Amino acid sequence: MNPVNYLYLAALLFTIGATGVLVRRNAIVLFMCVELMLNASNLALVTFSRLHGNLDGQIIAFFTMVVAAAEVVVGLAIIVSVFRTRHSASVDDTNLMKL
Amino acid sequence: MDNLIPVLVGLPLAGAAVLLLGGRRLDRFGHWLGVLASTASFGVGLVLFFDMLSRSTAQRPAFEHLFTWVPVAGFQAQVGFQLDQLSVVFVLLITGVGSLIHLYSVGYMAHDERRRRFFGYLNLFLAAMLLLVLADNYLLLYVGWEGVGLASYLLIGFWQHKPSAATAAKKAFLVNRVGDIGLSVAIMLMFSTFGTFAFGPVFGAAHTASQGTLTGIGLMLLLAACGKSAQVPLQSWLGDAMEGPTPVSALIHAATMVTAGVYLITRSSAVFNLAPTAQLATVCVGAVTLLFGAIVGCAKDDIKKALAGSTMSQIGYMVMAAGLGPIGYVFAIMHLVTHGFFKAGLFLGAGSVMHGMNDEVDMRRYGGLRKHMPLTFVTFGLGYLAIIGFPGLSGYFSKDKIIEAAFAHGGTEGWILGTAALVGAAVTAFYMTRVMLMTFFGEKRWQPDAEGHEPHPHESPSTMGIPMVVLAVGSVGAGALFAWNSSFVKWLTPVTGHDEGHSPLSSWTVSGITFAVIALGVLVAWTMYGRQPVQATPPVGSLLTRAARRDLLQDDFNHVVLVGGGQHLTRFLVYLDAKGFDGVVNGIAAAVGGTSGRMRKLQNGYVRSYALSMFGGALVLVATTLLMRAV
Amino acid sequence: MSVPDTVHSLWTVAASSTTQTIPTPHIEYGQLSPMLAVFGAAALGILAEAFLPRRNRYWAQIGIAMAGLVGAFVAVVVLAAQGYAGTKAHLAAMGAVAVDGPSLFLQGTIVLIAVVSVLGFAERHLEPRSSTGAPVDAFAPQAATVPGSDAEKSAARSGFATTEVFPLTMFAVGGMLLFPAASDLLTMFVALEVFSLPLYLLCALARRRRLLSQEAAVKYFLLGAFSSAFFLFGLALIYGYAGTVSIGGIADVVSGTATPTPALANTTANDALLLIGLAMLGVGLLFKVGAVPFHAWTPDVYQGAPTPVTGFMASATKVAAFGATLRLLYAAFPGVTWDWRPVLWGVAILTMVVGAIIAVTQTDVKRLLAYSSIAHAGFILTGVIAMNKAGVSAVLFYLGAYSFVTLGAFAVVTLVRDAGGEATHLSRWAGLGRRSPLVAATFALFLLAFAGIPLTSGFAGKFAVFQAAASSGATPLVIVGVLSSAVAAFFYIRVIVLMFFSDPRPDGPTVAVPSAFTATAIALGVLVTLGLGILPQYFLHLADQASVFVR
Repeated sequence: MNPVNYLYLAALLFTIGATGVLVRRNAIVLFMCVELMLNASNLALVTFSRLHGNLDGQIIAFFTMVVAAAEVVVGLAIIVSVFRTRHSASVDDTNLMKL
Repeated sequence: MDNLIPVLVGLPLAGAAVLLLGGRRLDRFGHWLGVLASTASFGVGLVLFFDMLSRSTAQRPAFEHLFTWVPVAGFQAQVGFQLDQLSVVFVLLITGVGSLIHLYSVGYMAHDERRRRFFGYLNLFLAAMLLLVLADNYLLLYVGWEGVGLASYLLIGFWQHKPSAATAAKKAFLVNRVGDIGLSVAIMLMFSTFGTFAFGPVFGAAHTASQGTLTGIGLMLLLAACGKSAQVPLQSWLGDAMEGPTPVSALIHAATMVTAGVYLITRSSAVFNLAPTAQLATVCVGAVTLLFGAIVGCAKDDIKKALAGSTMSQIGYMVMAAGLGPIGYVFAIMHLVTHGFFKAGLFLGAGSVMHGMNDEVDMRRYGGLRKHMPLTFVTFGLGYLAIIGFPGLSGYFSKDKIIEAAFAHGGTEGWILGTAALVGAAVTAFYMTRVMLMTFFGEKRWQPDAEGHEPHPHESPSTMGIPMVVLAVGSVGAGALFAWNSSFVKWLTPVTGHDEGHSPLSSWTVSGITFAVIALGVLVAWTMYGRQPVQATPPVGSLLTRAARRDLLQDDFNHVVLVGGGQHLTRFLVYLDAKGFDGVVNGIAAAVGGTSGRMRKLQNGYVRSYALSMFGGALVLVATTLLMRAV
Repeated sequence: MSVPDTVHSLWTVAASSTTQTIPTPHIEYGQLSPMLAVFGAAALGILAEAFLPRRNRYWAQIGIAMAGLVGAFVAVVVLAAQGYAGTKAHLAAMGAVAVDGPSLFLQGTIVLIAVVSVLGFAERHLEPRSSTGAPVDAFAPQAATVPGSDAEKSAARSGFATTEVFPLTMFAVGGMLLFPAASDLLTMFVALEVFSLPLYLLCALARRRRLLSQEAAVKYFLLGAFSSAFFLFGLALIYGYAGTVSIGGIADVVSGTATPTPALANTTANDALLLIGLAMLGVGLLFKVGAVPFHAWTPDVYQGAPTPVTGFMASATKVAAFGATLRLLYAAFPGVTWDWRPVLWGVAILTMVVGAIIAVTQTDVKRLLAYSSIAHAGFILTGVIAMNKAGVSAVLFYLGAYSFVTLGAFAVVTLVRDAGGEATHLSRWAGLGRRSPLVAATFALFLLAFAGIPLTSGFAGKFAVFQAAASSGATPLVIVGVLSSAVAAFFYIRVIVLMFFSDPRPDGPTVAVPSAFTATAIALGVLVTLGLGILPQYFLHLADQASVFVR
């Protein structure tokens, strides 16, 4: 199978993730969409790794997973604390500061 | 030795910083800190002066390049100092008289709760003024020029609880701005013509510039000098500036800052010498102002305002002398220094009188004070004799030389200028005698002040007395010292050049005539104010004597035609500024504000719309990057 | 099922050929010592947090943080003195970290910013003491408690303090030190996350107005993660184009000097990968510097975060992010200058104009400073666009000058308080000059520096970037810059007028007397502002010497 197809899939996943960030209200779902974007990148990296015949891309994918895990830790901490305060995880409710 | 030069500026600057930022804990001894900074600077000035004396003439100017402020090719803004024979004279005058007035202020401001701040401002002024005279380029000079303007503004308005003081401070600031525009335009012209701001290169290349450019630069510098030195037509602020505390009037508005214009013209002699039109304008301004100031001086009953008119007039002499070219520069500076002594002394005397009279300034409520304030009387009297040019005292040597130089200018112009100077001398004698008689002689005309306190004239404390004595000694001796063996002329000639000129009248003839007109002035004043009692009430209505009525008419005339004219000009400028420039500016501001109000609506607080703007931005970024390649 | 042997051999090896070894990576610990010192302090801070009794933590954390920062600064100076900023500049840690002039200059700046910030974090004189008499700082007593709950009240009563802010700050500083020095995109990405994650948390930790603080953290986090995803995808595309993520390798491939391989010939046939990747990396970086249209988080986050954190964020993040931007554009992608430059032109113009114009109608001091920081990002971008050595040195100088003004300004904001904490609404600042002339004058100085008035560092910085941009032919950009500066000057001066020429309100805020920590921070800000304004040429010279990238 032509590896370029994996790239198309990665681009599609990335776009789905980005669209999700724009349309979903729940902070957790929104954050999962960001994770989807990161994983789309991972897919692209692994594909390119194979295209170029070197291992860099795969190594980077591992790094990305670690970074994503760290991001989850921080992100969930923040989202949960907001949820406990407001009893809502909707990002449209955190709207005190504007203009 | 030369690396001491920045210390001159640094000491008072540090003093100002400590005093203004130090807070209340410095209140108890802060004023002595101010005195110390000023005196230390004077000490450094003396060291540098004697060091300079010990060198041969050619090696006397010293340069100290501190650093390059903006080092860009083609625009080198240097911070450097130049201490030559001209600067050192100013340094000694500024720090010397400055120190005395600092000391005087310790006594004068003793009961003011903001005394520490006052000394901070005074130190700030000293630093700025020293920067002005020590700068080796016009840009740094401009910094000092603005600095003294700021200090002057702060000090005129020091008693900000008085609305008149606040108004006077604003007026001084505004009028000075007009002059400052002149200086900035002159600097820009210089930069575009010569590509540099530094004195040396500008003066060296001056002869390569066209006549029109030089005249333009000269006239703009003259405008700057008019603003700072209260010369017609920008003289209106000086009288009002007397709202400031008297030591300020003595230091800034008599001895030092107001003479900065004379310094500027003398320093730029290389430009003026090549621009006869600018020189002609300068002598005209000087001659008009010396008469104008003298006439104003006759009209005022407020002792400080009478002295302010006199200051204006005396600076008119200096500006005229400076406009005469090489025959006058040296005498302009010499008169500047002697004037620094006697006018500062006179102001301190006036301050002492006010101090003893519950801050009364109306001379019609003085009278007979010589018995109560003998020290003030003697020192003020010596200053009086010096300013009218009594033979042997300071003013005699410097003013007579200017009158002589005016005649030596030659031709009809010389005669006109000489006559104007002579008339000025006569009027000076008149109004100063009037001040003297009304204050110290005659019957006492004191009246209780608004709260009913009867004044008890008394001699001032020694912190005020000592400076007055020192300045009186200077008023007596400085002229003779400078004239002896033409030492002052020889000292300054390497910087300004000197030309004896060919006077149509001999030196002795001029002296004789001058003495005669001075005597006439004194006599007239004595006839009017000495022989008959002075009216205790201001000369209004039918009670006025014939002389007093003439006095008033002149005052009115001055106010309507000249001061009023100035005010109309100012009003017109304000109008133009408000309707013209501000209109445009306000229009733009309104447009920006409206756009801003609409644009900030985009910041709606929703994370998702922020994310949308990012996503859209990313798309645009990607698209344009790709598009750039396609194009 | 015939998978080519060549592909399998990538991750499978015949059992017989076990002689193949991986060489031990060679790490130059000495050259990495600035980062190691800070990360060490951070790790130590975590241990202190875990094992020290509560009452000892505050001073221990300050001591550890300061020791780490001072150590890092000494290391930077020693490295620079040894010539790593000039002739000896090279790549350390197997090519992951560049030790060169820009790295060391920016690391020195960031460490100094961190020192001043830690001083601000340590301030405990401004908030009223807790009921046990313990002095408290600007951070929530216990971040996990729900705002307004009993648990929070009892934590506040017993004088708890979130001393975790110090190790968090150290981690952020470590990431910031690494970010501009990263010499491959992976290191850059990891550094980006290492300094961003602690910042998200720090934003959520305000003692007062915790709702705003949490909202700021959520917004910053979600948008930050979003932008990181763009950065990562850009990284993937660049890797796909060049087959490598090292700055030098990318530059070689872009300029066509790399050894051609069949795979490269395939991926570089079409530049779309390169251009899209570059644009997406740009999104990540422009988000961090707060350039329009990626600026929307700035005002909200600056307003909601605890003010000492805002000062730290506004200055250090900008320095680090611009450092990385410079390295990317100057060292990795100089071969496609003609593609990214026009795009950046547009971004710079938008940033300057939008920042300056929206600031005009702001009514909150912190939001005002946020928009001002957006406008300043635009000014700095004009220096980046210059694409010459003068541009690099001008940007380096501007960053140093700007960050200390920012730190000082936000430190002053912490002083003006009323019963509800900081009084950030501009109307409350009316007549401040009458009530506390010194504080108002200090703030006025910082505002004048922002506006770029001569004799302040802001003037020298603006002059330098505009000069660099003009010399590279970007005159229209400079004109827009000057016009936006004029608009910006308007709202700075407006605040000064408000402070000095309006009558103070009877119920106006009071100016708290800070401890030596904040006083030192403000004094340093004033000193640097005036120092760089009056004697800029020493620092311009220093920046000029430090403006050559190694790759």
